[in-house]
Amino acid sequence: MARSPDSSRPGLRGSIAFRLAVGYGVLLAASMATLSAIVYFGTVGVFEHSIDNKIMTVETHLADAWVRDGRTGLVREIDAQLHDLIDTDTEVVSLVDARGRILAGNMGRWYGDLPAAGELAFGQMERGGTPVSVRLIATRLEDGSRLIVGRDLIELDAIRSVVERALLVSGAVSILLAFFGAQIFRTRLEARIVRIRRTTARIAAGELSSRIVVMGNDEFARLGDDINRMLDRIEALMEGVRHVSNSIAHDLRTPLSRVRSRLDRALQASADPHALVADARLAIEDIDSVISLFDKLLQIAALESGVRAGTFEKLDLAAIAHDMTELYEAAAEEQGIALHFTGTPTTIRGDRDLLASALASLIDNAIKYGRNGGRVDVEVATVDGAPALTVRDYGQGVPPEDMDKITRRFYRVDQSRHLPGNGLGLSIVTAITQLHEGTLALRRLEPGFEASMVFPRA
Amino acid sequence: MPNCLVIEDDTETRDYLCSGLRAAGYAVQAETNGEAGNRRLQETRWDVVVLDRMLPGQVDGLGILEQMRARGDGTPVLILSALNSVDERVRGLRAGSDDYLTKPFVMSELLARVENLSRRNSWSREATALQVADLQLDVRTMRVTRQGTTINLQPREFRLLEYLMRHEGQIVTRTMLLEGVWEYHFDPQTNVIDVQISRLRSKIDKDFSPALIHTVRGAGYVLSAAPTYGPVTR
Repeated sequence: MARSPDSSRPGLRGSIAFRLAVGYGVLLAASMATLSAIVYFGTVGVFEHSIDNKIMTVETHLADAWVRDGRTGLVREIDAQLHDLIDTDTEVVSLVDARGRILAGNMGRWYGDLPAAGELAFGQMERGGTPVSVRLIATRLEDGSRLIVGRDLIELDAIRSVVERALLVSGAVSILLAFFGAQIFRTRLEARIVRIRRTTARIAAGELSSRIVVMGNDEFARLGDDINRMLDRIEALMEGVRHVSNSIAHDLRTPLSRVRSRLDRALQASADPHALVADARLAIEDIDSVISLFDKLLQIAALESGVRAGTFEKLDLAAIAHDMTELYEAAAEEQGIALHFTGTPTTIRGDRDLLASALASLIDNAIKYGRNGGRVDVEVATVDGAPALTVRDYGQGVPPEDMDKITRRFYRVDQSRHLPGNGLGLSIVTAITQLHEGTLALRRLEPGFEASMVFPRA
Repeated sequence: MPNCLVIEDDTETRDYLCSGLRAAGYAVQAETNGEAGNRRLQETRWDVVVLDRMLPGQVDGLGILEQMRARGDGTPVLILSALNSVDERVRGLRAGSDDYLTKPFVMSELLARVENLSRRNSWSREATALQVADLQLDVRTMRVTRQGTTINLQPREFRLLEYLMRHEGQIVTRTMLLEGVWEYHFDPQTNVIDVQISRLRSKIDKDFSPALIHTVRGAGYVLSAAPTYGPVTR
């Protein structure tokens, strides 16, 4: 009994859809983190850099004033700097004496020691009664006092916290998106798969004609297509098996029951010795025909399983066709048929004996059924780059309604029932052609019949 | 009298084989398993061996054959097997057998093939001038004459006649002809070979006497000047 596709939904760990979705989520989160890092350092980093630049510019300017005009000049410049209305609320500029007292400028109370001279440093300073973080540089002057130039970092801190908050929120949102996206992804994937699994379950339950509905042209559609094609083949094979068992029942039972009745008759005491010999001979003939039938069925089975493809070699199709034409020429002539061969050397990979027996079978058919045509053509040609071996007769042909059935095992066109044969010839030819990865094309002519073994391009 | 070793486990087939071969004039010994067969092969020299492919016990037919060939024993071997796919046939021939016949078999076909193998050394493949009664064939010039009259043959008819002459007095079956002359291995469905023979016969025998090509009912053909030829059992 087939399991219903829904009952066996795999656990989260076993689900490929889940694993794909988690992978997708992780990938999304990782790319978000990378992107955030770029944004963070791109904004905050640039700000920090520009603050440092401004501090250094002011410091250089004031140091020049000290060299040029001494302490008074410097104090004047500090006042000017603080009252130029540019960045006044963030600027820190001061002159501090050797003991740390503020001689000029707007510096508030400093926490801890001032940074060593000559290097930019972060620190904490009281401003407007509240401690703020600042970045500053202290330059030692010749008289022991120090020039302090810096900026408070209120703006930068504000920007930093805005960016950080934005990144945090977007990170959370992207994880949520990844999670829900993965869920949607998984659900859709599973929905597609469930549709395929429902069909396979129906087929496993015996409903062989069921097929997957194919929509669009994505991977699933193509998978569905492939599965459908496989199912067509399986169904055809099953149909073939059914047909074969029916035919075996008929084709084997008939000669076997004849043999049985002959042996039965031979057992009777009154049997005439001559009749006995004749019966035995007929019985042997019947058994031989049964054996040959079995051989053919086994041959088809062996061909269809494809085991012989390993012995393939490069060979000339035209040479084989020429040999077979020559072999059959005399037999054809006896039936009043002229057998003609045309063709040029054509190389394919294959099995010489199998190809010869397939061609022999086609020529044999053409002679048998094309009798009133007076002519049979054997042709080796390349059609659109594909080597083809064609046998054409101009007899009464095959009725249109029988065309798609004549390659079936044991199938015989009604009007040919009186001729020798068992309806396996074309099945064997089909199997041999398929083993060579070719196709057998059958065509009605007006009048006549054409069979073409078309092989893959060399 | 040529001697023949039969290695076959099935009693019925073995008896059938032995009586058929004895009636055809062979001194026959039989063994039922691989080990005994192998011993017997090393004790005596045989003209021909009929070997069942599948044998009970440690050594099967292919095993015996491989050991024989490894020992340098070139005795002609005919493999008899129920495995009839071409693959198996190829495996058998590759293992060193000289011929391969599938079960169920017709005694006349088996005898023809056994005879072909046991007489292998009595005629030379290299001989270029063949003669049977008043029929002469020269392989080099492709000239065929009978009673001094030149007979024109198609190349394939020539090879057919050559094959028959090289097997003078031996029965050759249709399958052997397809294999030996056309070099194809498959079962010719209809009477194609018979038609070829009858063509050849009309050229060789029609205007001359006695007839050289004889049909052996249910078996094949034999080319011989004598009115009787090798015994045939059917």
